[in-house]
Amino acid sequence: MAAEQNEPKSRYQQYLEVLVGPLEDKKRYRRFKARAEQLPPPYRTSIDALQRYMQYFGPGKADSLLQMLDDLADLFEQSAADGIAVRDVVGEDPVEFAEAWLRNYPEGAWIHKERERLTNAIRRAAADEA
Amino acid sequence: MGKQVTEMLKGVLEGIVLAILSNRAAYGYEITAWLREQGFTDIAEGTVYALLVRIEQRGLVDVNKVPSEKGPPRKVYSLNAQGHEQLAEFWRTWSFLTERLGQLRESQGGN
Repeated sequence: MAAEQNEPKSRYQQYLEVLVGPLEDKKRYRRFKARAEQLPPPYRTSIDALQRYMQYFGPGKADSLLQMLDDLADLFEQSAADGIAVRDVVGEDPVEFAEAWLRNYPEGAWIHKERERLTNAIRRAAADEA
Repeated sequence: MGKQVTEMLKGVLEGIVLAILSNRAAYGYEITAWLREQGFTDIAEGTVYALLVRIEQRGLVDVNKVPSEKGPPRKVYSLNAQGHEQLAEFWRTWSFLTERLGQLRESQGGN
């Protein structure tokens, strides 16, 4: 990862390396990065872009985050092997794809907490009404 | 394929995939290829894969990793007992919807 040394570390990289940083998580994350780097250029660029988007909206728990990234690597490796064009993997709307993908990994995501907060607030309001 | 079909398909894609898997075990690309053959040409591989991840998390399918000639091992999905129950529920809901929509259409003079 020498090429990345000058880039600012991403939020989850810091999270993995500083706050928690169990060795197994670090190894798993490195395995994911190695898999991503092995992909042919269009797939690699796409998975990097998706990873960047998902770091803001994705799971906050290391386990869930790493599972999400591993599944993403599975999808792109298989798609590259089957020769499926990037556009056919991600679809016409990459944001929609990313959001649909993230819904499978809600644990610890701030947006998930906000959704729960909203749901509970309306539940209390509706209960007061009854 | 129009935008409307894409939107409608989202709601029933899980049922379609469960139905395909009830006939035989399959991996992601086989399912997407089948959907494309059937005319759902806008369906993205990633959308189908996300759905497969979800039904695996919910315990509706059994997963086998099968070695592949080109590339990584493939995850082959097959419907289990819980998946069959979910599929039966999907078809009940589908019958309800098509019946009610059919009635609505007839009440308008059968357009």
